[in-house]
Amino acid sequence: MSTAPTVGDLVSQPYKYGFVTDIETEKIAKGLSEDVVRLISAKKSEPTFLLDFRLRAYRQWLRMTEPDWAALGHAPIDYQELIYYAAPKQQEKKASLDEVDPKLLETFDKLGIPLSEQKRLSNVAVDAVFDSVSIATTYREKLAEHGVIFCSISEAVKDHPELIASYLGTVVPSNDNFFAALNSAVFSDGSFVFIPKGVECPMELSTYFRINSGDTGQFERTLIVAEEGASVSYLEGCTAPMFDTNQLHAAVVELVALDDASIKYSTVQNWYAGDENGKGGIYNFVTKRGQCRGDRSHISWTQVETGSAITWKYPSCVLQGADSVGEFYSVALTNNRQQADTGTKMIHLGPRSRSTIVSKGISAGQSSNSYRGLVQIGPKAVGAKNYSQCDSMLIGDQAAANTYPYIRSQQPDAAIEHEASTCRISADQLFYLQSRGIGFEAAVSMMVSGFCRDVFNQLPMEFAAEADKLLALKLEGSVG
Amino acid sequence: MMASLSDTDAAALAQGMATAPWTQRFLDGLPAPAGELETVQWRGREALARQTLPSRRDEDWRFTDLVPLLAVFDGTAPTAGSSGGTDSPAAASALPPPAPDTVRLLLDGRNDPLAGQTLPAGLSLLGEGEWPLALGHTLAATGCQAHWPVELNQATASRCLALRVSGAVASTLELVSVAGADVSGAAEAEPGATQIGQRLTPVRVLLLLEEKASLNVLQVQLGNGPCLSSLVCEARLGRGSTLRHGLLAFGAGEACFLGHLAVEQELESRLESVWASRGWALSRFEPRVSQAEGGAHTSLKALQLAEEHQLVDTHSRVVFEGPDGQLEQLHKAIADGHGRSVFNGAVKVPRLAQRTNAAQLSRNLLLSNQARIDTKPELEIVADDVRCAHGATVTRLQQNELFYLQSRGISAAVAAGLLKRGFCQEVLRDLPAAAAGWEPLKRLLAEA
Repeated sequence: MSTAPTVGDLVSQPYKYGFVTDIETEKIAKGLSEDVVRLISAKKSEPTFLLDFRLRAYRQWLRMTEPDWAALGHAPIDYQELIYYAAPKQQEKKASLDEVDPKLLETFDKLGIPLSEQKRLSNVAVDAVFDSVSIATTYREKLAEHGVIFCSISEAVKDHPELIASYLGTVVPSNDNFFAALNSAVFSDGSFVFIPKGVECPMELSTYFRINSGDTGQFERTLIVAEEGASVSYLEGCTAPMFDTNQLHAAVVELVALDDASIKYSTVQNWYAGDENGKGGIYNFVTKRGQCRGDRSHISWTQVETGSAITWKYPSCVLQGADSVGEFYSVALTNNRQQADTGTKMIHLGPRSRSTIVSKGISAGQSSNSYRGLVQIGPKAVGAKNYSQCDSMLIGDQAAANTYPYIRSQQPDAAIEHEASTCRISADQLFYLQSRGIGFEAAVSMMVSGFCRDVFNQLPMEFAAEADKLLALKLEGSVG
Repeated sequence: MMASLSDTDAAALAQGMATAPWTQRFLDGLPAPAGELETVQWRGREALARQTLPSRRDEDWRFTDLVPLLAVFDGTAPTAGSSGGTDSPAAASALPPPAPDTVRLLLDGRNDPLAGQTLPAGLSLLGEGEWPLALGHTLAATGCQAHWPVELNQATASRCLALRVSGAVASTLELVSVAGADVSGAAEAEPGATQIGQRLTPVRVLLLLEEKASLNVLQVQLGNGPCLSSLVCEARLGRGSTLRHGLLAFGAGEACFLGHLAVEQELESRLESVWASRGWALSRFEPRVSQAEGGAHTSLKALQLAEEHQLVDTHSRVVFEGPDGQLEQLHKAIADGHGRSVFNGAVKVPRLAQRTNAAQLSRNLLLSNQARIDTKPELEIVADDVRCAHGATVTRLQQNELFYLQSRGISAAVAAGLLKRGFCQEVLRDLPAAAAGWEPLKRLLAEA
C-alpha cells in the first residue's frame, strides 16, 4: 500500500480535550504528610471518623511499597512532588448553577458535558468533578423525589454521615493496596450514589472527571450503594489537558449491592495518553471493586480504556451472595507508548454465583497491552460458573499483547472456562473491504468496531456510539 | 525508590539468613566433588551457597512450598518403610523387562550407565573434548541455567549421559532412575556414600541430535519414601531432526521430584514431548523450549495427578526466536483428596516471530472439596501476524456424560472411572510404546 492512508495513520489523532482552563485555583503546598491529610480533612470540615479513617490509611500507606508485578515500566513517582488538593476558587456554596464560574461551565461544554439547564443531556444526571472538587450535580431534585441520593462525596459526608460511615472502606479497605491506601488518606472528591430499597433509578447517573492542574494528583472516591431490589446504571468519563509531565490519578470505586440489587458501572476513560514519544500523560492507578453482598445481586463493569500513559486497573466483583452475578466487559486500546495492565477479578464465594468476562485488547504503535485477570472459586461456591474470553488485536509488529489469566478453584462443582485468541487487521481483509468500495478508514473502523461489539453492546446507548467514534479517532495513524 | 529497594533487600536478607542453615547442612552433607562433572559440581555448590531458597514470595514459586523437599534432607521425614508401604511404585529389583526394541540404561548419577551395555546404532557417546562444551548451552539458551533446581542437580550429579544422535535410531532409548528406599541398599554398598547421597538421585542427560536424526526416548523417574529425584535433561535438535520424548515420573510417600527439560530447536525440527506424573509429595517440572530460529514444531502434552496432600507444579515456557514456529500444548491435571495442581504456561512471541501458530489448552478436573487447582496461561505477543490461542477449563466430571453412561446401564462408579480414563488417555496414548510395561502406568489406567 503506497499512498493510501495506513491504519497506523488512522489510529493516532490529536487529543482534542488537551486544553487547559485558565481559572484561579486554590492549591495547597506540594508534598504529603500527616499535616496535609489533616488539612484536606479540615478544608472539607469533615467529622472525626473520616479524619481517623484518613490518618489510619496514611500510616498504613507509609509502611507499604509500590506494587511492581504489573507488566508496566515508568519513571519513579515522587509522592512529595505532588499537590494533593486543588480547587477552583469560587463561592463556598453554589445554590444553583448560575453561581458556578461560567469558565467551568464552558469547560464542561467543550468536553461535551453541558451542565446548564437548557443544554444538559436529557435523562442523564451528571456530577462534574474538576480537579479535587465537585462543581455541580444536575437533576438532583428529580432524583430526590425517588429517594435517590446522587451528590458529591463531600456533600454526602455532611448530609448523610451515617451512610458514609457504614459503607466507606468496607469494599476496598484502606490497606488493600498501595494506591488504595494513598487514596484513602487524601481523597478529595467523587460521587456518592444511594438507591433505596426497591427503587429503580429513573435516569442514568454519570460523573465526569476533569484534571486541570499540571502538578495535582487526582484522588477521587466513588461509593455506590444499591439497597434490596434497587437498580442503577452509572457512567464515568474522564479527560485531562496535555502536559509534558505525568499526572497521577489514583481513584477508588466501591460498589455495594444488597439482595436482588443491580449496579451497572460503565467507564469511558480518555485521560491524556502522552505524545507519540511517551512524554506526558496520566498515570492511572485505580482500584475498583464491587461487592455482591446480597443474594441474586448483580454487578456489571463495562470499561472503554483509551487514554492514560499507564493504566493499572482491575475492576473486580466479590460474589458473596447466593446466585449473585458479576460481569466485566472491557475494551482497552493502547497506542504509541501507552502501557496498560488491566483486567478483572471475580471472587466467587456464594453458591451458584456466576461471572462473565469479555476483554478486548487492541495494541498499536509501540504500546503494551496486558490482560491480567483472576477467577477464584472458593470452597463454598457450589455450582459457580465462570466464562472468560480475552481477545487481542495487534496493529503493527511493535505492539505487545500479553495475557495473564490466573484461575484458582477449590470447588469441584464449579465450571470455569477461559479462552483467548489473537488477531490482526490483515492486508487481505482490508483489501476485501476496499474492493467492495469501502474507504480505507471506514474499513479499519468497521473491523475494530466489529471486534469490540460484544463490549459496546453493554454500554448505555448514548455512549456506545461515542465509544465507537473515540476508538476510531484514537486508532488514527497506526495500521499499515 | 530507595525505600522499597532497601525493604526488599532486607526481606531477602532475612529470608537468606533463615534458609542458609539448610543449604549449609545440605552442602556439608554432600560427598566431595569428584568424577567427570567435578568442576560443574563446584560451580553448582557455589551457586547454591549464594542463592536463597525459592520461597512463596517469588512469583514463580507462589504456589509451591519447598517444605516437603527440605524435610527429606532434614531427616524429619519418616523412613520409607513406614510410609511407602505396598504402594511402592517400583522396587529396583522389580523393573519390568524392557519392551522389544528398547535399550534400557539405569541412571543413578554415580555409576556408569553403559557398563555392560551396547548403544544401538546411531547413538554414540560424546567425546571428552565435546560434551563439556555442549553441557549447559541449552540451559542458558532457555534461560534456566541459574534456576535453583538446576543448580541443585549440578551441585550433586557426578555423571552425565551425553549422547550424539545421528540418523534415525530404530530402538527406543529407555533411561530409568530409581530414587529412595529401594536403591538405598545399593547406595550403602558404595563406599563414601552419605545420607544425603542416598536420598538424592540426580540425573543429567545431554542429547545432541544431528541434522535429520530421530530418536525415541522414554525417561522413567521413580521415587519412594524420603528422597529426591532430580532431573536435568538438555536436548539440541539439529535441522530437520525429531525427538520423541516421554517422561514417566512416579513417586510414593515423601518422595519429591524436581525436573528441567531444556530443548533448543533448529529449523524444521520436531519435538514431541509427553509426560505423566503422579504420587510425589512435591513435584516441580519445568519444560523449557526455545525455537532458536522459529520454523520448528513443538508438541507438549502432560498429565499430572495431585492426590492426598501432594503438590504438583508444572511451569512450562516456549519461546519463538524466529518466524513460522508451531506449538501445540495440552496440559491436563486431576486434583483429588487434598491435592493441589499448579500449571503456569508461558508462551513468548517476540516481534521477529511472525506467522507463529501456537495453541495451548489447560484442562483440569477437580474431584474433591479439599483439592485445589491453580492454572495460569501466560502469553506475551508482539508479532502481529500470528495465531495464538489458549484456553483453560476447570470442572468436575460432566454430569450429562455420567448420566448418559448410567442410562446405558453402567454404574456411577464405573462411569466415573471410564470418563477419568478417557481424560487421561488423551495424553497417555501418545507416550512411547515402551511406557506400557511400567506398573505405575498400568495401575493408573486400571484405577481410573
